[in-house]
Amino acid sequence: MSTVLEHLVNQPYKHGFVTEIEAETAPKGLSEDTIRLISAKKNEPEWLLEFRLKAYRHWLTMAEPAWPNVKYPKIDFQDIIYYSAPKPKKLNSMDEVDPELLRTFEKLGVPMNERAALAGVAVDVIFDSVSVATTYKQKLADVGIIFCSISEAVREHPELVRRYLGTVVPSGDNYYAALNSAVFTDGSFCFIPRGVKCPMELSTYFRINTQESGQFERTLIVAEEGASVSYLEGCTAPKFDTNQLHAAVVELVALDNARIKYSTVQNWYAGDERGKGGIYNFVTKRGLCKGVNSHISWTQVETGSAITWKYPSCVLLGENSVGEFYSVALTNHHQQADTGTKMVHIGRDTRSTIVSKGISAGSSNNSYRGLVKIGPKADRARNYSQCDSMLIGARCGANTFPYIQVQNATARVEHEATTSKIGEDQLFYFQSRGVSPEEAVSMIINGFCKDVFQQLPMEFAVEATKLLGLKLEGSVG
Amino acid sequence: MIDPNASVLLEVRGLTATVAGVEILKGIDLTVRAGEVHAIMGPNGSGKSTFARILAGHPAYEVKSGTVRFEDRDLFELAPEERARRGLFLGFQYPVEIPGVSNSAFLRLAYNTVLGARGRDELDPLEFDDLVREKMKLLDIDTSFLDRSVNDGFSGGEKKRNEILQMALLEPRVAILDETDSGLDIDALRVVANGVNHLLTPENACVLVTHYQRLLNYIVPDYVHVMEGGRIIMTGDKALALELEARGYDWVVEAHKGRDKAAA
Amino acid sequence: MTVTAIHPCVEALLQGSRGLPRMPLAWLNARRGAALERANALTVPTARDEEWRFTDITPLTRIVFRPAAAAPRLGMSDIAQYIAPEATAHLAFVDGVFVPELSANAGLPYGVVVTHLTAAFGTHAAVIEPHLARHAAFERDLFAALNTACLRDGAFIWIAKNQRCPTPVQLLFISTQQETAAHPRCLVVVESGADCTLIEDHVGVGDGAYFNNAVSEIVVGERARVQHVKLQREARSAFHIANSAVTLAKDATYTSNAVTFGARISRHNLAVVQQGEGATCRIDGLALISGRQLADTHTAIDHARPNGKSAQLHKCIVGDAAHAVFNGKVLVRAGAQLTDSAQQSRNLLLSPKAHVDTKPQLEIFADDVKCSHGATVGQLDTEHVFYLKSRGLSEERARSLLTYAFGAEVIDRIPVPSLVEHLERAVLEQTQARPQAGGEAS
Repeated sequence: MSTVLEHLVNQPYKHGFVTEIEAETAPKGLSEDTIRLISAKKNEPEWLLEFRLKAYRHWLTMAEPAWPNVKYPKIDFQDIIYYSAPKPKKLNSMDEVDPELLRTFEKLGVPMNERAALAGVAVDVIFDSVSVATTYKQKLADVGIIFCSISEAVREHPELVRRYLGTVVPSGDNYYAALNSAVFTDGSFCFIPRGVKCPMELSTYFRINTQESGQFERTLIVAEEGASVSYLEGCTAPKFDTNQLHAAVVELVALDNARIKYSTVQNWYAGDERGKGGIYNFVTKRGLCKGVNSHISWTQVETGSAITWKYPSCVLLGENSVGEFYSVALTNHHQQADTGTKMVHIGRDTRSTIVSKGISAGSSNNSYRGLVKIGPKADRARNYSQCDSMLIGARCGANTFPYIQVQNATARVEHEATTSKIGEDQLFYFQSRGVSPEEAVSMIINGFCKDVFQQLPMEFAVEATKLLGLKLEGSVG
Repeated sequence: MIDPNASVLLEVRGLTATVAGVEILKGIDLTVRAGEVHAIMGPNGSGKSTFARILAGHPAYEVKSGTVRFEDRDLFELAPEERARRGLFLGFQYPVEIPGVSNSAFLRLAYNTVLGARGRDELDPLEFDDLVREKMKLLDIDTSFLDRSVNDGFSGGEKKRNEILQMALLEPRVAILDETDSGLDIDALRVVANGVNHLLTPENACVLVTHYQRLLNYIVPDYVHVMEGGRIIMTGDKALALELEARGYDWVVEAHKGRDKAAA
Repeated sequence: MTVTAIHPCVEALLQGSRGLPRMPLAWLNARRGAALERANALTVPTARDEEWRFTDITPLTRIVFRPAAAAPRLGMSDIAQYIAPEATAHLAFVDGVFVPELSANAGLPYGVVVTHLTAAFGTHAAVIEPHLARHAAFERDLFAALNTACLRDGAFIWIAKNQRCPTPVQLLFISTQQETAAHPRCLVVVESGADCTLIEDHVGVGDGAYFNNAVSEIVVGERARVQHVKLQREARSAFHIANSAVTLAKDATYTSNAVTFGARISRHNLAVVQQGEGATCRIDGLALISGRQLADTHTAIDHARPNGKSAQLHKCIVGDAAHAVFNGKVLVRAGAQLTDSAQQSRNLLLSPKAHVDTKPQLEIFADDVKCSHGATVGQLDTEHVFYLKSRGLSEERARSLLTYAFGAEVIDRIPVPSLVEHLERAVLEQTQARPQAGGEAS
């Protein structure tokens, strides 16, 4: 690998600073007492405490999954802080936000001030364990949309939360989902009532600040009959030498004719160039296309985290429902990613599309793992999958593990995978036409990821393009 | 067109080079003046393509000794993209495929970078589209090229046409075409010849690296050089190309050996 | 792996290893001993093992298989129908036992040896020693361990340097007896520059529930070529597990045509290691199954060195309540630059209860490579059916013709014309016999 490529991937992480802010922090360690403490801090109803305790007891019986193609030392779950909140806890207006916190998010480019906000994007901001601010709440409430932190939703709309929480990802679904169900601290909640098209993009920004804290957020989005919403999430964390655990759960429910579009730009701290530090991103994301003609679309641009383990999935239960997954996963240095999707076709005439683009550089390892399952009743189900890998340099790895299970003779499933590269010859070709290697790399990467970037909302697409450029700076040439 | 007073565009002196430790070029001398067409011919493995790629700055080769001046600059001090911006153009023998990158975006980026470096205004996509379509019409190249990825899935002939289109857009001072004619049918060959003939003015020059005389029926060279074993062993005019066509290369090689012996 | 009480099924299978005569070859006794140790230690795979996730072998473990008692009496007339006329040499093994009367291996050209292992131990020990039980790893595979622990005899083919075996060599493994187990073994060593076509043929006579546990090791020297045809036409109640381990030296070529028709449950593990630079393999497979058959093919192509090529086409035609499994792994190791690999898994489901699990798999650790894979599951193209109907064919005829054509693509590549003809007829019969329930009907 030439020095230009090398130089291109080695851009410093820009979000690695720590905010000095007074926080209320629970002692390290996990027990039923920790869970009771979290629940008490949040004034939760009894049923939610029971939900947590049941999940915790189940978690104790489970084993960490061994099948992902990732390696990391054993996590000491007693060495993690499960609750950390900046003081004062919750605010009535933006004016009460700690100025230090405001400056933090300003630095990160996240608009917490409605006047300065990106036009048409409402933001919920999560700092370590709690939501610190949500913008445009009133404007959304005017059309009947509830967009707030999940803690607030538990207080204000307990019946809605109770009806849907854990229905898509059951509390014992997998090791990290069970852990999340036991200790989740905050997250976003949105509810789009029947027939309402959400007038703006909804967005949550996650920030881990405390060194020893884990982040266990829980997001729940419900789109009722005929409703539609586009939701964005972004994440960053400071640079620490130690690893922080992020084990989130996201549940989406789409009823008849509803449409949910969920986009992620994940830029958690990835560790340094020797692989020290970084976030363990062990996330369960699943959408349930419950109603007929419902539509759930996942788009992710994964560039951060030391380890990524996530499979945003769609359960296509409603007849004629549609699931989509568009992903760019970039790994560099010693990052490891085992990511992909599951498309579970249960209802008739369900369709799914998977487009996955993996880019590996440095000594990283990038795996696509996907499941397409066509159940016996899913007549005429269709799936199309395209999984492409690009390798930059000779020390990285790219793997593709697609599982295709078909139990219906009328189904049609197509899967294709290819590899491509940015090699000396490609770069030389660009150079001989006057184009610098940096521009060449950016053009090739953008071409490679085009089908995914097209799915992102405009501002995010621009962000994502820049982010990939930064992440790869130094790796090509 | 030979004009002994025309300015020297490219001057190669005693060039030797290796790839992976093996000596490929063993002392090349060549002077190219404005307005001239040079043909470099020779059997396979004689070093013709290596010479062309070294001039463009391919990283696989190591220059051991000798100098190359490109107009008033030391060529080896320039990165490949700087050479291109100053007007050196290599038409590739095997143009690479770059899936996902749209050909029209690539052409526009190259055009704006190269012509921009010479003080020309950047063209926006619409302006560029007009320009490129005009060029394509002139060269008889199918406009469907614009909607495809760079060389991706192109046939051999299509790739070569795309090279000629790039040459026409970038208006080089010195164009080096590396076996651009090989494997082409007669129509594609005409496109290539047409492109070169459009380019030729008293200010520019062209170096054709070729194995066959065929292309020289369409583009009349001022000089024909025979390369063998990493050296230019004979230089003549168009008549030499015809003689090579009729008699092959062996007699030149023999004659050269004879001369070497006589010298020794 | 935890050591548990040995499974009764394995214990019965290991009876075959008892009372084996000790060989004068110490290395052979040692290898058998090591395999026996592993067979005792390994557990019977279940759906919890990733490699056996879709293949439930419980029915196999419920039967207590014993080694065949007496040599069965078969005559030449019983087996003639299976012998390909092109094959001038063939070896016949009945219920695991070599039968010289049914074999023909005389008059082979110089440098071509086709014989059974126990004979070869005396004459070619130096050729056998570096290879036997060296390529088919039994450390983690119970069935390879069982086969090796029970190794008594088997087929041995040796083609000396730069020699060609002008006609195919057929190895015929016939099973005749209910509830018996056989452990067929082949060692094929093709030295540098040599060439050989091999037909490995597993045939069931009658309809017994027997267990055939085969291991083949094929060693292809520099610039050598081996064409390997594997036919699995076991009885419909039988169990067939086969491990084929192939090692390729520099610039070697290996082609495999594996056709699966028979057995209640079958599993074929084909592992090709391209140990030398510039090696090439082409692997084609067809499984044509119906009823409640399960056919599982696991292939692994290991590109260990640069400039290797591999091409694979695996097809399954699945009728009734049958179940096809395919797992195709392609590994490109660090440094194996300029590897060119293409893999296709194509599956045709003919009836509502048929199902398929397929998993093409790429693991790439070199950047300058060209790798692709594709998988499809579906039905016959309705446009094609319509086209044939518009030319006067009935729906049923059109479908059976297209199904036949789907399978014939793989069979046509078999380098033995009489087998092509025979197998195509079998595919045609199968595809006509079955009502075509898939498509838009359900």
